[in-house]
Amino acid sequence: MSTFALYVLLLKATATSFAGMGSLPQIRHDLVVTAHAITDEQLSQAVLVGRSTPGPVGAYVVAVGYFAGGVEGAIAGLLAVMTPAFAAVPLLVLMQRWLHVPRVRAAVDAVVMASAALLVVSVVRMASDGAQQFARLVGWM
Amino acid sequence: MSVRRLGWIVLRDVNRTLGGGIASMELLRRSAAKERWLDERGHAVLTAVSRLTPGTNVLAYCVGLGWLVSGWIGAIVALIVASVPAAVMIAALAATLVRIDRYPIVRVIIAVGVLAATGLVASSAWHLMRPYLNRASAWRTALIAAVVAVLSWLDVTPVRIFLASAAIGALIGMPASADAPSVDS
Repeated sequence: MSTFALYVLLLKATATSFAGMGSLPQIRHDLVVTAHAITDEQLSQAVLVGRSTPGPVGAYVVAVGYFAGGVEGAIAGLLAVMTPAFAAVPLLVLMQRWLHVPRVRAAVDAVVMASAALLVVSVVRMASDGAQQFARLVGWM
Repeated sequence: MSVRRLGWIVLRDVNRTLGGGIASMELLRRSAAKERWLDERGHAVLTAVSRLTPGTNVLAYCVGLGWLVSGWIGAIVALIVASVPAAVMIAALAATLVRIDRYPIVRVIIAVGVLAATGLVASSAWHLMRPYLNRASAWRTALIAAVVAVLSWLDVTPVRIFLASAAIGALIGMPASADAPSVDS
């Protein structure tokens, strides 16, 4: 996979999520299930690395990029994390005009809820994968 | 001068917290108030904007703060100092992990860590969902969760699930709430 394609896939995940970890289901779908660019184990390791360092939680995408494409992949991951943040400026301008519209607010709330529910689905898969990996290692030792 | 000051404050406040963006945003609020860049209302607006901006909330907060203080230059500087140091640390840690994970003891430690990371993701999901787990929103939350579960089971992609959820949300509406969603960033 080219670095640009990796950036596009990671950007798709970060730009459609509303929290640091919210991009996880899309990343798993695109990079683990569809492209086979990383494994479930590497995705879990990326989350672990991201949560072990100070700074934004969403920066775990940098580790995902590294596992998928080395240093260039990490740079693609960083750019994918940075790009959506620029949407804050037009949103800041538009917010007072539109956010009081109940249906707009309701749609945004529904997306945040869906993001949380999808995270729960990811948690179940990660827990299953982690438990199997741990059981294999304990049996092997 | 204010761009340099902004850069230093964002660098310091974002890169010294481990608990996610909410802690960083609180540190930024205190610093911005001390510098007279932001009052309480400005912080509330920025917080709401950061929660509505796609991606990582604390980075959106930094871009908004930078833009308010020094325009686009401030936004870019704030974004760079908030994200690049963490990215360098993460890439270095990931590279180290790749080199040492062939050792059995390291693999056991990683396996335990991965299980812990699963708990952290569960915690993120809880923080996102918690504001909607009240009596007024309960059935709407249950409906959205059920739709997500069914679509996910049918292997529908997350983007389509979000679009379907947004459409359902707009259709059924939400109870008016003064609080923006509380999300882990």
